[in-house]
Amino acid sequence: MDTLPQLVIRPEFENTDIKDAHTGNIAVELSIVEKIWNINGIRKAVILLGLVITWQIYTVALDVEPLMFPSFLFSLERLLVDLFTGDLIFKIWFSVKVLLIGYSAGMAIAAVLVLWATASRLGSDFIATATAMFNPLPAIAMLPLAMLWFGLGTASLVFVLIHSVLWAVALNTHSGFKNVTETLKMIGENYGLRGVPFVCKVLVPAAFPSILSGMKVGWAFAWRTLIGAELVFGASSGSGGLGWYIFESSQNIETEGVFAGLFMVILIGIVVENVVFRNVELRTVNRWGMQR
Amino acid sequence: MNTLPQTVVRPEFEASDLDAANHGDVARRLTAYERLSNMDSVRKFSILILFIAAWEIYTRASGVSHFLLPKFSDTAVALFQAIWSEQLLIMVWNSITILVTGYAIGLAIAAVLTTAAITTRFGSDLLSTLTAMLNPLPAIALLPLALLWFGLGSESIVFTLLHSVIWPVALNAHTGFMSVSETQRMVGRNYGLRGMTYVVKLLIPAAFPSILMGLKIGWAFAWRTLIAAELVFGGSISDTAETQSGGLGWFVFSNQMDMQIPHVFAGLFTVILVGIFVENVIFTNIEIKTVRRWGMQTS
Repeated sequence: MDTLPQLVIRPEFENTDIKDAHTGNIAVELSIVEKIWNINGIRKAVILLGLVITWQIYTVALDVEPLMFPSFLFSLERLLVDLFTGDLIFKIWFSVKVLLIGYSAGMAIAAVLVLWATASRLGSDFIATATAMFNPLPAIAMLPLAMLWFGLGTASLVFVLIHSVLWAVALNTHSGFKNVTETLKMIGENYGLRGVPFVCKVLVPAAFPSILSGMKVGWAFAWRTLIGAELVFGASSGSGGLGWYIFESSQNIETEGVFAGLFMVILIGIVVENVVFRNVELRTVNRWGMQR
Repeated sequence: MNTLPQTVVRPEFEASDLDAANHGDVARRLTAYERLSNMDSVRKFSILILFIAAWEIYTRASGVSHFLLPKFSDTAVALFQAIWSEQLLIMVWNSITILVTGYAIGLAIAAVLTTAAITTRFGSDLLSTLTAMLNPLPAIALLPLALLWFGLGSESIVFTLLHSVIWPVALNAHTGFMSVSETQRMVGRNYGLRGMTYVVKLLIPAAFPSILMGLKIGWAFAWRTLIAAELVFGGSISDTAETQSGGLGWFVFSNQMDMQIPHVFAGLFTVILVGIFVENVIFTNIEIKTVRRWGMQTS
Protein backbone atom coordinates (compact mmCIF):
# COMPACT_ATOMS: atom_id res chain seq x y z
CA MET A 1 0.00 0.00 0.00
CA ASP A 2 2.97 2.32 0.31
CA THR A 3 2.83 3.02 -3.45
CA LEU A 4 -0.15 5.28 -2.89
CA PRO A 5 0.77 8.99 -2.85
CA GLN A 6 0.90 10.46 0.62
CA LEU A 7 -0.71 13.75 1.44
CA VAL A 8 1.94 16.35 2.30
CA ILE A 9 0.87 18.91 4.85
CA ARG A 10 3.15 21.94 4.87
CA PRO A 11 3.63 23.68 8.17
CA GLU A 12 1.79 26.95 8.69
CA PHE A 13 3.96 30.05 8.61
CA GLU A 14 3.62 33.80 8.74
CA ASN A 15 5.68 36.10 6.56
CA THR A 16 7.37 38.53 8.89
CA ASP A 17 9.25 40.63 6.34
CA ILE A 18 6.57 42.10 4.10
CA LYS A 19 8.98 44.75 2.79
CA ASP A 20 10.26 42.22 0.24
CA ALA A 21 7.06 42.77 -1.74
CA HIS A 22 8.07 46.36 -2.35
CA THR A 23 7.53 47.23 -6.00
CA GLY A 24 10.52 49.47 -6.65
CA ASN A 25 10.56 52.51 -8.89
CA ILE A 26 8.46 51.49 -11.88
CA ALA A 27 7.96 54.88 -13.48
CA VAL A 28 11.64 55.82 -13.74
CA GLU A 29 12.43 58.25 -16.56
CA LEU A 30 14.70 56.66 -19.17
CA SER A 31 18.01 58.44 -19.47
CA ILE A 32 18.66 60.29 -22.73
CA VAL A 33 21.14 57.64 -23.88
CA GLU A 34 18.57 54.91 -23.33
CA LYS A 35 15.91 56.88 -25.17
CA ILE A 36 18.16 57.43 -28.17
CA TRP A 37 19.33 53.82 -28.10
CA ASN A 38 15.71 52.67 -28.25
CA ILE A 39 15.19 54.26 -31.67
CA ASN A 40 15.49 51.49 -34.26
CA GLY A 41 16.95 53.62 -37.02
CA ILE A 42 19.71 54.99 -34.83
CA ARG A 43 20.81 51.54 -33.64
CA LYS A 44 20.96 50.29 -37.22
CA ALA A 45 22.81 53.37 -38.42
CA VAL A 46 25.33 52.88 -35.62
CA ILE A 47 25.84 49.26 -36.66
CA LEU A 48 26.33 50.31 -40.27
CA LEU A 49 28.78 53.00 -39.21
CA GLY A 50 30.58 50.46 -37.03
CA LEU A 51 30.97 48.07 -39.97
CA VAL A 52 32.31 50.83 -42.20
CA ILE A 53 34.75 52.04 -39.54
CA THR A 54 35.97 48.48 -38.92
CA TRP A 55 36.57 48.09 -42.64
CA GLN A 56 38.45 51.38 -42.86
CA ILE A 57 40.58 50.74 -39.77
CA TYR A 58 41.32 47.16 -40.82
CA THR A 59 42.57 48.18 -44.24
CA VAL A 60 44.52 51.22 -43.06
CA ALA A 61 46.02 49.78 -39.88
CA LEU A 62 47.06 46.45 -41.35
CA ASP A 63 48.18 48.15 -44.55
CA VAL A 64 46.27 45.67 -46.72
CA GLU A 65 47.21 45.69 -50.39
CA PRO A 66 44.58 47.97 -52.03
CA LEU A 67 44.54 45.65 -55.04
CA MET A 68 43.15 42.92 -52.81
CA PHE A 69 40.95 44.92 -50.45
CA PRO A 70 40.80 48.71 -50.86
CA SER A 71 39.76 50.90 -47.96
CA PHE A 72 36.20 52.16 -47.69
CA LEU A 73 37.01 55.81 -48.32
CA PHE A 74 39.07 54.92 -51.39
CA SER A 75 36.14 52.94 -52.85
CA LEU A 76 33.68 55.69 -52.00
CA GLU A 77 35.89 58.29 -53.65
CA ARG A 78 36.10 56.17 -56.78
CA LEU A 79 32.29 55.81 -56.78
CA LEU A 80 31.73 59.56 -56.48
CA VAL A 81 34.36 60.40 -59.08
CA ASP A 82 32.91 57.93 -61.57
CA LEU A 83 29.36 59.05 -60.83
CA PHE A 84 29.99 62.74 -61.38
CA THR A 85 32.79 62.83 -63.90
CA GLY A 86 32.79 59.40 -65.50
CA ASP A 87 30.14 57.56 -67.42
CA LEU A 88 28.94 55.33 -64.56
CA ILE A 89 25.59 57.08 -64.58
CA PHE A 90 25.06 56.13 -68.24
CA LYS A 91 26.01 52.55 -67.48
CA ILE A 92 23.45 52.44 -64.69
CA TRP A 93 20.83 53.93 -66.98
CA PHE A 94 21.68 51.33 -69.62
CA SER A 95 21.21 48.47 -67.14
CA VAL A 96 17.98 49.87 -65.74
CA LYS A 97 16.59 50.45 -69.23
CA VAL A 98 17.28 46.87 -70.31
CA LEU A 99 15.82 45.62 -67.04
CA LEU A 100 12.64 47.65 -67.48
CA ILE A 101 12.15 46.49 -71.07
CA GLY A 102 12.68 42.85 -70.12
CA TYR A 103 10.53 43.09 -67.01
CA SER A 104 7.55 44.73 -68.69
CA ALA A 105 7.71 42.39 -71.69
CA GLY A 106 7.84 39.42 -69.31
CA MET A 107 4.86 40.77 -67.34
CA ALA A 108 2.86 41.31 -70.53
CA ILE A 109 3.49 37.76 -71.76
CA ALA A 110 2.69 36.39 -68.31
CA ALA A 111 -0.60 38.35 -68.32
CA VAL A 112 -1.59 36.89 -71.69
CA LEU A 113 -0.71 33.36 -70.58
CA VAL A 114 -2.63 33.67 -67.33
CA LEU A 115 -5.68 35.12 -69.11
CA TRP A 116 -5.62 32.12 -71.41
CA ALA A 117 -5.23 29.82 -68.41
CA THR A 118 -8.28 31.29 -66.65
CA ALA A 119 -10.34 31.07 -69.81
CA SER A 120 -9.68 27.46 -70.76
CA ARG A 121 -8.50 24.19 -69.28
CA LEU A 122 -6.00 23.73 -72.10
CA GLY A 123 -4.39 27.05 -71.16
CA SER A 124 -4.29 26.06 -67.51
CA ASP A 125 -2.59 22.77 -68.37
CA PHE A 126 -0.18 24.52 -70.67
CA ILE A 127 0.86 27.01 -68.01
CA ALA A 128 1.27 24.26 -65.42
CA THR A 129 3.49 22.18 -67.73
CA ALA A 130 5.53 25.13 -68.97
CA THR A 131 6.19 26.58 -65.51
CA ALA A 132 7.11 23.16 -64.11
CA MET A 133 9.62 22.79 -66.93
CA PHE A 134 11.07 26.28 -67.25
CA ASN A 135 10.93 27.62 -63.69
CA PRO A 136 13.78 25.39 -62.46
CA LEU A 137 15.91 26.41 -65.46
CA PRO A 138 18.13 29.35 -64.49
CA ALA A 139 17.59 32.08 -67.08
CA ILE A 140 21.30 32.70 -67.36
CA ALA A 141 21.73 29.20 -68.80
CA MET A 142 19.67 30.38 -71.79
CA LEU A 143 22.19 33.12 -72.50
CA PRO A 144 24.43 31.07 -74.82
CA LEU A 145 21.38 30.12 -76.87
CA ALA A 146 20.02 33.67 -76.81
CA MET A 147 23.30 35.00 -78.14
CA LEU A 148 23.14 32.45 -80.91
CA TRP A 149 19.60 33.40 -81.88
CA PHE A 150 19.61 37.14 -81.36
CA GLY A 151 23.27 37.95 -81.66
CA LEU A 152 25.35 39.95 -79.24
CA GLY A 153 23.29 42.84 -78.00
CA THR A 154 20.34 44.09 -76.03
CA ALA A 155 17.94 41.65 -77.70
CA SER A 156 19.54 38.60 -76.12
CA LEU A 157 19.67 40.30 -72.71
CA VAL A 158 15.97 41.11 -72.99
CA PHE A 159 15.20 37.53 -74.03
CA VAL A 160 16.98 36.15 -70.98
CA LEU A 161 15.26 38.69 -68.70
CA ILE A 162 11.84 37.76 -70.09
CA HIS A 163 12.62 34.14 -69.36
CA SER A 164 13.57 34.96 -65.76
CA VAL A 165 10.46 37.07 -65.08
CA LEU A 166 7.79 35.22 -67.05
CA TRP A 167 7.64 31.88 -65.21
CA ALA A 168 7.89 33.21 -61.67
CA VAL A 169 5.11 35.75 -62.29
CA ALA A 170 2.90 33.34 -64.27
CA LEU A 171 3.22 30.62 -61.64
CA ASN A 172 2.34 32.89 -58.72
CA THR A 173 -0.48 34.70 -60.53
CA HIS A 174 -2.03 31.45 -61.73
CA SER A 175 -1.95 29.84 -58.29
CA GLY A 176 -3.26 33.09 -56.80
CA PHE A 177 -6.21 33.07 -59.22
CA LYS A 178 -6.95 29.45 -58.40
CA ASN A 179 -7.05 30.22 -54.68
CA VAL A 180 -9.60 33.05 -54.97
CA THR A 181 -12.57 31.90 -52.90
CA GLU A 182 -15.68 30.74 -54.69
CA THR A 183 -17.75 33.33 -52.78
CA LEU A 184 -15.81 36.28 -54.21
CA LYS A 185 -16.08 34.81 -57.70
CA MET A 186 -19.85 34.33 -57.34
CA ILE A 187 -20.25 37.90 -56.11
CA GLY A 188 -18.42 39.07 -59.22
CA GLU A 189 -20.65 36.96 -61.44
CA ASN A 190 -23.68 38.33 -59.61
CA TYR A 191 -22.62 41.83 -60.59
CA GLY A 192 -22.64 40.62 -64.17
CA LEU A 193 -18.87 40.78 -64.58
CA ARG A 194 -17.58 38.53 -67.31
CA GLY A 195 -14.36 37.97 -69.24
CA VAL A 196 -11.68 40.64 -68.91
CA PRO A 197 -13.63 42.94 -66.51
CA PHE A 198 -14.19 39.91 -64.26
CA VAL A 199 -10.45 39.22 -64.20
CA CYS A 200 -9.50 42.87 -63.65
CA LYS A 201 -12.10 43.73 -61.04
CA VAL A 202 -12.38 40.50 -59.05
CA LEU A 203 -9.55 38.06 -59.68
CA VAL A 204 -6.63 40.51 -59.80
CA PRO A 205 -7.46 42.38 -56.58
CA ALA A 206 -8.33 39.16 -54.76
CA ALA A 207 -5.11 37.46 -55.83
CA PHE A 208 -2.94 40.56 -55.46
CA PRO A 209 -0.81 39.39 -52.52
CA SER A 210 0.31 36.39 -54.51
CA ILE A 211 0.75 38.40 -57.74
CA LEU A 212 2.89 40.88 -55.83
CA SER A 213 5.06 38.13 -54.38
CA GLY A 214 5.47 36.74 -57.90
CA MET A 215 6.53 40.18 -59.10
CA LYS A 216 9.06 40.44 -56.27
CA VAL A 217 10.54 37.01 -57.00
CA GLY A 218 10.60 37.91 -60.69
CA TRP A 219 12.42 41.15 -59.93
CA ALA A 220 14.97 39.35 -57.76
CA PHE A 221 15.66 36.76 -60.48
CA ALA A 222 15.77 39.40 -63.21
CA TRP A 223 18.20 41.63 -61.30
CA ARG A 224 20.51 38.69 -60.59
CA THR A 225 20.29 37.48 -64.16
CA LEU A 226 20.99 40.92 -65.60
CA ILE A 227 24.07 41.51 -63.50
CA GLY A 228 25.29 37.99 -64.27
CA ALA A 229 24.70 38.40 -67.98
CA GLU A 230 26.37 41.80 -68.10
CA LEU A 231 29.33 40.57 -66.12
CA VAL A 232 30.05 38.34 -69.07
CA PHE A 233 28.64 39.65 -72.25
CA GLY A 234 27.56 43.22 -71.46
CA ALA A 235 30.21 45.01 -73.43
CA SER A 236 28.97 43.50 -76.66
CA SER A 237 26.24 46.07 -77.03
CA GLY A 238 28.55 49.06 -77.16
CA SER A 239 28.18 50.94 -73.91
CA GLY A 240 27.72 48.08 -71.46
CA GLY A 241 25.96 48.24 -68.11
CA LEU A 242 26.64 48.11 -64.41
CA GLY A 243 27.70 44.45 -64.48
CA TRP A 244 30.17 45.25 -67.22
CA TYR A 245 31.55 48.11 -65.14
CA ILE A 246 32.28 45.64 -62.33
CA PHE A 247 33.85 43.13 -64.69
CA GLU A 248 35.96 45.77 -66.43
CA SER A 249 37.27 47.07 -63.10
CA SER A 250 38.12 43.57 -61.95
CA GLN A 251 39.91 42.82 -65.22
CA ASN A 252 41.97 46.01 -64.82
CA ILE A 253 42.59 45.00 -61.19
CA GLU A 254 40.96 48.21 -59.97
CA THR A 255 39.35 46.58 -56.99
CA GLU A 256 38.03 49.91 -55.68
CA GLY A 257 36.02 50.10 -58.91
CA VAL A 258 34.55 46.65 -58.16
CA PHE A 259 33.46 47.90 -54.74
CA ALA A 260 32.06 51.10 -56.26
CA GLY A 261 30.00 48.96 -58.66
CA LEU A 262 28.81 46.73 -55.82
CA PHE A 263 27.71 49.84 -53.85
CA MET A 264 25.58 50.90 -56.80
CA VAL A 265 24.09 47.41 -57.21
CA ILE A 266 23.15 47.34 -53.52
CA LEU A 267 21.74 50.86 -53.69
CA ILE A 268 19.51 50.10 -56.68
CA GLY A 269 18.39 46.85 -55.07
CA ILE A 270 17.46 48.64 -51.85
CA VAL A 271 15.59 51.39 -53.71
CA VAL A 272 13.54 48.89 -55.72
CA GLU A 273 12.74 46.59 -52.79
CA ASN A 274 12.26 49.12 -50.00
CA VAL A 275 10.87 52.09 -51.93
CA VAL A 276 9.12 50.82 -55.06
CA PHE A 277 7.69 47.51 -53.86
CA ARG A 278 7.10 48.79 -50.32
CA ASN A 279 4.99 51.66 -51.67
CA VAL A 280 3.04 49.36 -53.97
CA GLU A 281 2.40 47.13 -50.95
CA LEU A 282 1.29 50.04 -48.76
CA ARG A 283 -1.10 51.32 -51.39
CA THR A 284 -2.65 47.98 -52.26
CA VAL A 285 -2.55 44.92 -50.02
CA ASN A 286 -1.89 46.80 -46.77
CA ARG A 287 -4.57 49.38 -47.50
CA TRP A 288 -7.05 46.68 -48.48
CA GLY A 289 -6.29 44.87 -45.23
CA MET A 290 -5.09 41.67 -46.89
CA GLN A 291 -1.70 41.79 -45.25
CA ARG A 292 -0.35 43.47 -42.17
CA MET B 1 -45.23 62.35 -61.04
CA ASN B 2 -44.10 60.08 -63.80
CA THR B 3 -40.67 59.75 -62.13
CA LEU B 4 -42.19 57.43 -59.55
CA PRO B 5 -41.68 53.78 -60.40
CA GLN B 6 -44.77 52.19 -61.85
CA THR B 7 -45.94 48.76 -60.86
CA VAL B 8 -45.58 46.47 -63.82
CA VAL B 9 -48.27 43.83 -64.05
CA ARG B 10 -47.07 41.04 -66.24
CA PRO B 11 -49.70 39.17 -68.23
CA GLU B 12 -50.65 35.73 -66.93
CA PHE B 13 -49.32 32.90 -68.99
CA GLU B 14 -49.15 29.15 -68.95
CA ALA B 15 -46.04 27.33 -70.14
CA SER B 16 -47.32 25.02 -72.79
CA ASP B 17 -44.07 23.22 -73.44
CA LEU B 18 -42.92 21.75 -70.16
CA ASP B 19 -40.40 19.56 -71.96
CA ALA B 20 -38.00 22.50 -71.89
CA ALA B 21 -37.58 21.86 -68.18
CA ASN B 22 -36.38 18.37 -68.97
CA HIS B 23 -33.18 17.54 -67.17
CA GLY B 24 -31.52 15.54 -69.89
CA ASP B 25 -29.60 12.46 -68.89
CA VAL B 26 -27.90 13.37 -65.63
CA ALA B 27 -26.24 10.07 -64.94
CA ARG B 28 -24.68 9.51 -68.34
CA ARG B 29 -21.50 7.49 -68.25
CA LEU B 30 -18.52 9.47 -69.51
CA THR B 31 -16.95 8.16 -72.67
CA ALA B 32 -13.47 6.68 -72.52
CA TYR B 33 -12.05 9.80 -74.18
CA GLU B 34 -13.68 12.10 -71.65
CA ARG B 35 -12.47 10.01 -68.72
CA LEU B 36 -8.96 9.96 -70.14
CA SER B 37 -8.87 13.69 -70.73
CA ASN B 38 -10.11 14.29 -67.19
CA MET B 39 -6.86 12.88 -65.83
CA ASP B 40 -4.48 15.71 -65.04
CA SER B 41 -1.29 13.85 -65.77
CA VAL B 42 -2.54 12.56 -69.12
CA ARG B 43 -3.39 16.08 -70.28
CA LYS B 44 -0.10 17.53 -69.14
CA PHE B 45 1.86 14.68 -70.62
CA SER B 46 0.14 15.06 -73.98
CA ILE B 47 0.96 18.77 -73.97
CA LEU B 48 4.59 17.84 -73.48
CA ILE B 49 4.42 15.32 -76.33
CA LEU B 50 2.70 17.88 -78.56
CA PHE B 51 5.39 20.41 -77.76
CA ILE B 52 8.14 17.96 -78.65
CA ALA B 53 6.33 16.88 -81.83
CA ALA B 54 5.88 20.51 -82.88
CA TRP B 55 9.57 21.13 -82.30
CA GLU B 56 10.60 18.07 -84.34
CA ILE B 57 8.20 18.82 -87.20
CA TYR B 58 9.14 22.49 -87.31
CA THR B 59 12.86 21.80 -87.48
CA ARG B 60 12.39 19.14 -90.16
CA ALA B 61 9.91 21.07 -92.27
CA SER B 62 11.41 24.56 -92.20
CA GLY B 63 14.95 23.31 -92.64
CA VAL B 64 16.19 25.75 -90.01
CA SER B 65 19.94 25.52 -89.57
CA HIS B 66 20.80 22.99 -86.89
CA PHE B 67 23.21 25.53 -85.49
CA LEU B 68 20.23 27.66 -84.58
CA LEU B 69 17.73 25.04 -83.48
CA PRO B 70 18.67 21.37 -83.61
CA LYS B 71 16.08 18.66 -84.04
CA PHE B 72 14.67 17.14 -80.87
CA SER B 73 15.91 13.72 -81.94
CA ASP B 74 19.45 15.08 -82.34
CA THR B 75 19.21 16.62 -78.88
CA ALA B 76 18.07 13.35 -77.33
CA VAL B 77 20.88 11.48 -79.07
CA ALA B 78 23.36 14.11 -77.85
CA LEU B 79 22.05 13.73 -74.30
CA PHE B 80 22.59 9.97 -74.30
CA GLN B 81 25.96 10.34 -75.95
CA ALA B 82 27.02 12.88 -73.35
CA ILE B 83 25.88 10.64 -70.52
CA TRP B 84 27.60 7.49 -71.85
CA SER B 85 30.80 8.80 -73.33
CA GLU B 86 31.37 12.40 -72.26
CA GLN B 87 31.13 12.13 -68.51
CA LEU B 88 28.08 14.33 -68.23
CA LEU B 89 27.10 12.52 -65.04
CA ILE B 90 30.48 13.30 -63.50
CA MET B 91 30.01 16.96 -64.40
CA VAL B 92 26.57 16.92 -62.80
CA TRP B 93 28.13 15.33 -59.73
CA ASN B 94 30.84 18.03 -59.64
CA SER B 95 28.22 20.76 -59.73
CA ILE B 96 26.12 19.10 -57.06
CA THR B 97 29.10 18.57 -54.72
CA ILE B 98 29.98 22.26 -54.89
CA LEU B 99 26.33 23.22 -54.47
CA VAL B 100 25.85 20.99 -51.41
CA THR B 101 29.09 22.24 -49.81
CA GLY B 102 28.09 25.87 -50.27
CA TYR B 103 24.51 25.24 -49.21
CA ALA B 104 25.48 23.37 -46.04
CA ILE B 105 28.06 25.95 -44.91
CA GLY B 106 25.58 28.73 -45.74
CA LEU B 107 22.90 27.07 -43.62
CA ALA B 108 25.32 26.75 -40.70
CA ILE B 109 26.26 30.44 -40.86
CA ALA B 110 22.61 31.41 -41.22
CA ALA B 111 21.78 29.31 -38.14
CA VAL B 112 24.46 31.10 -36.10
CA LEU B 113 23.26 34.53 -37.27
CA THR B 114 19.63 33.67 -36.54
CA THR B 115 20.48 32.35 -33.09
CA ALA B 116 22.31 35.58 -32.32
CA ALA B 117 19.34 37.51 -33.66
CA ILE B 118 16.72 35.80 -31.52
CA THR B 119 18.74 35.91 -28.31
CA THR B 120 20.00 39.51 -28.28
CA ARG B 121 18.69 42.81 -29.57
CA PHE B 122 22.11 43.66 -30.97
CA GLY B 123 22.11 40.44 -32.99
CA SER B 124 18.65 41.20 -34.31
CA ASP B 125 19.71 44.69 -35.41
CA LEU B 126 22.90 43.35 -36.95
CA LEU B 127 21.02 40.70 -38.91
CA SER B 128 18.38 43.08 -40.21
CA THR B 129 20.99 45.65 -41.26
CA LEU B 130 23.10 43.03 -43.02
CA THR B 131 20.19 41.38 -44.81
CA ALA B 132 18.72 44.71 -45.90
CA MET B 133 22.08 45.59 -47.40
CA LEU B 134 23.29 42.29 -48.80
CA ASN B 135 20.07 40.51 -49.82
CA PRO B 136 19.51 42.76 -52.86
CA LEU B 137 23.11 42.19 -53.97
CA PRO B 138 23.22 39.41 -56.58
CA ALA B 139 25.75 36.83 -55.42
CA ILE B 140 27.21 36.53 -58.90
CA ALA B 141 28.43 40.14 -58.68
CA LEU B 142 30.78 38.99 -55.92
CA LEU B 143 32.44 36.43 -58.16
CA PRO B 144 35.12 38.83 -59.49
CA LEU B 145 36.07 39.67 -55.89
CA ALA B 146 35.99 36.02 -54.89
CA LEU B 147 38.28 35.14 -57.78
CA LEU B 148 40.67 37.84 -56.60
CA TRP B 149 40.65 36.65 -52.99
CA PHE B 150 40.50 32.88 -53.37
CA GLY B 151 41.94 32.44 -56.83
CA LEU B 152 40.49 30.27 -59.56
CA GLY B 153 38.97 27.24 -57.97
CA SER B 154 35.97 25.83 -56.26
CA GLU B 155 36.58 28.02 -53.16
CA SER B 156 35.48 31.08 -55.11
CA ILE B 157 32.28 29.40 -56.25
CA VAL B 158 31.58 28.16 -52.71
CA PHE B 159 32.07 31.71 -51.43
CA THR B 160 29.52 33.13 -53.87
CA LEU B 161 27.13 30.27 -53.09
CA LEU B 162 27.43 31.06 -49.37
CA HIS B 163 26.44 34.60 -50.08
CA SER B 164 23.43 33.53 -52.13
CA VAL B 165 22.18 31.13 -49.42
CA ILE B 166 22.84 32.93 -46.11
CA TRP B 167 20.69 36.05 -46.52
CA PRO B 168 17.39 34.61 -47.75
CA VAL B 169 17.58 31.72 -45.25
CA ALA B 170 18.50 33.95 -42.28
CA LEU B 171 15.89 36.56 -43.22
CA ASN B 172 13.06 34.03 -43.51
CA ALA B 173 14.07 32.05 -40.42
CA HIS B 174 14.25 35.26 -38.38
CA THR B 175 10.81 36.49 -39.45
CA GLY B 176 9.49 32.97 -38.83
CA PHE B 177 10.84 32.92 -35.27
CA MET B 178 9.60 36.42 -34.55
CA SER B 179 6.05 35.56 -35.59
CA VAL B 180 5.68 32.44 -33.41
CA SER B 181 2.61 33.27 -31.36
CA GLU B 182 3.00 34.21 -27.69
CA THR B 183 0.54 31.45 -26.74
CA GLN B 184 2.73 28.74 -28.20
CA ARG B 185 5.80 30.19 -26.49
CA MET B 186 4.02 30.19 -23.14
CA VAL B 187 2.85 26.59 -23.65
CA GLY B 188 6.47 25.63 -24.26
CA ARG B 189 7.62 27.38 -21.11
CA ASN B 190 4.84 25.72 -19.17
CA TYR B 191 6.27 22.36 -20.20
CA GLY B 192 9.57 23.49 -18.75
CA LEU B 193 11.37 23.79 -22.10
CA ARG B 194 14.42 26.01 -21.91
CA GLY B 195 17.47 26.87 -24.01
CA MET B 196 18.22 24.46 -26.85
CA THR B 197 15.26 22.15 -26.21
CA TYR B 198 12.98 25.19 -26.35
CA VAL B 199 14.38 26.16 -29.75
CA VAL B 200 14.43 22.63 -31.21
CA LYS B 201 11.08 21.41 -29.89
CA LEU B 202 9.06 24.58 -30.06
CA LEU B 203 10.46 27.46 -32.10
CA ILE B 204 11.69 25.44 -35.09
CA PRO B 205 8.49 23.42 -35.64
CA ALA B 206 6.35 26.54 -35.14
CA ALA B 207 8.41 28.58 -37.61
CA PHE B 208 8.95 25.71 -40.06
CA PRO B 209 6.77 26.98 -42.93
CA SER B 210 8.79 30.14 -43.19
CA ILE B 211 12.12 28.35 -42.63
CA LEU B 212 11.22 25.99 -45.47
CA MET B 213 10.34 28.97 -47.65
CA GLY B 214 13.79 30.41 -46.93
CA LEU B 215 15.44 27.09 -47.76
CA LYS B 216 13.60 26.96 -51.10
CA ILE B 217 14.50 30.54 -52.04
CA GLY B 218 18.08 29.87 -50.97
CA TRP B 219 18.19 26.78 -53.17
CA ALA B 220 16.76 28.66 -56.17
CA PHE B 221 19.30 31.48 -55.82
CA ALA B 222 22.18 29.07 -55.22
CA TRP B 223 21.30 26.95 -58.26
CA ARG B 224 21.09 30.01 -60.49
CA THR B 225 24.32 31.43 -59.11
CA LEU B 226 26.14 28.14 -59.55
CA ILE B 227 25.12 27.74 -63.18
CA ALA B 228 25.99 31.37 -63.92
CA ALA B 229 29.37 31.10 -62.18
CA GLU B 230 30.23 27.93 -64.04
CA LEU B 231 29.02 29.35 -67.34
CA VAL B 232 31.35 32.27 -66.95
CA PHE B 233 34.38 31.17 -65.07
CA GLY B 234 33.97 27.39 -65.08
CA GLY B 235 36.38 27.20 -67.96
CA SER B 236 39.19 28.92 -66.17
CA ILE B 237 38.48 26.85 -63.08
CA SER B 238 38.55 23.55 -64.90
CA ASP B 239 41.75 24.50 -66.68
CA THR B 240 43.65 24.73 -63.44
CA ALA B 241 42.39 21.44 -62.05
CA GLU B 242 44.36 18.34 -62.88
CA THR B 243 41.39 16.09 -63.38
CA GLN B 244 38.72 16.62 -65.97
CA SER B 245 36.33 18.50 -63.75
CA GLY B 246 34.17 21.50 -64.56
CA GLY B 247 30.45 21.42 -63.93
CA LEU B 248 27.19 21.45 -65.78
CA GLY B 249 27.39 25.16 -66.63
CA TRP B 250 30.81 24.61 -68.12
CA PHE B 251 29.40 21.75 -70.23
CA VAL B 252 26.82 24.15 -71.71
CA PHE B 253 29.35 26.91 -72.26
CA SER B 254 32.10 24.83 -73.83
CA ASN B 255 29.68 23.12 -76.20
CA GLN B 256 28.30 26.49 -77.24
CA MET B 257 31.83 27.64 -77.98
CA ASP B 258 32.36 24.50 -80.09
CA MET B 259 29.02 25.10 -81.83
CA GLN B 260 27.75 21.71 -80.61
CA ILE B 261 24.23 23.08 -80.27
CA PRO B 262 22.51 19.71 -79.66
CA HIS B 263 24.85 19.28 -76.70
CA VAL B 264 23.89 22.76 -75.43
CA PHE B 265 20.25 21.67 -75.43
CA ALA B 266 21.21 18.40 -73.76
CA GLY B 267 22.95 20.41 -71.03
CA LEU B 268 19.88 22.60 -70.56
CA PHE B 269 17.70 19.48 -70.27
CA THR B 270 19.98 18.19 -67.55
CA VAL B 271 19.77 21.53 -65.71
CA ILE B 272 15.97 21.34 -65.90
CA LEU B 273 15.94 17.71 -64.73
CA VAL B 274 18.14 18.41 -61.71
CA GLY B 275 15.99 21.45 -60.86
CA ILE B 276 12.75 19.49 -61.14
CA PHE B 277 14.21 16.66 -59.05
CA VAL B 278 15.24 18.96 -56.21
CA GLU B 279 12.04 21.01 -56.21
CA ASN B 280 9.46 18.30 -56.83
CA VAL B 281 11.07 15.33 -55.11
CA ILE B 282 13.21 16.62 -52.27
CA PHE B 283 11.36 19.76 -51.19
CA THR B 284 7.89 18.36 -51.84
CA ASN B 285 8.73 15.32 -49.71
CA ILE B 286 10.01 17.48 -46.89
CA GLU B 287 6.84 19.53 -47.16
CA ILE B 288 4.59 16.46 -47.06
CA LYS B 289 6.41 14.99 -44.06
CA THR B 290 6.45 18.21 -42.06
CA VAL B 291 4.25 21.23 -42.63
CA ARG B 292 1.42 19.41 -44.42
CA ARG B 293 1.40 16.54 -41.96
CA TRP B 294 1.31 19.02 -39.10
CA GLY B 295 -1.59 20.77 -40.83
CA MET B 296 0.19 24.10 -41.15
CA GLN B 297 -0.21 24.30 -44.90
CA THR B 298 -2.79 22.87 -47.25
CA SER B 299 -2.51 21.57 -50.80
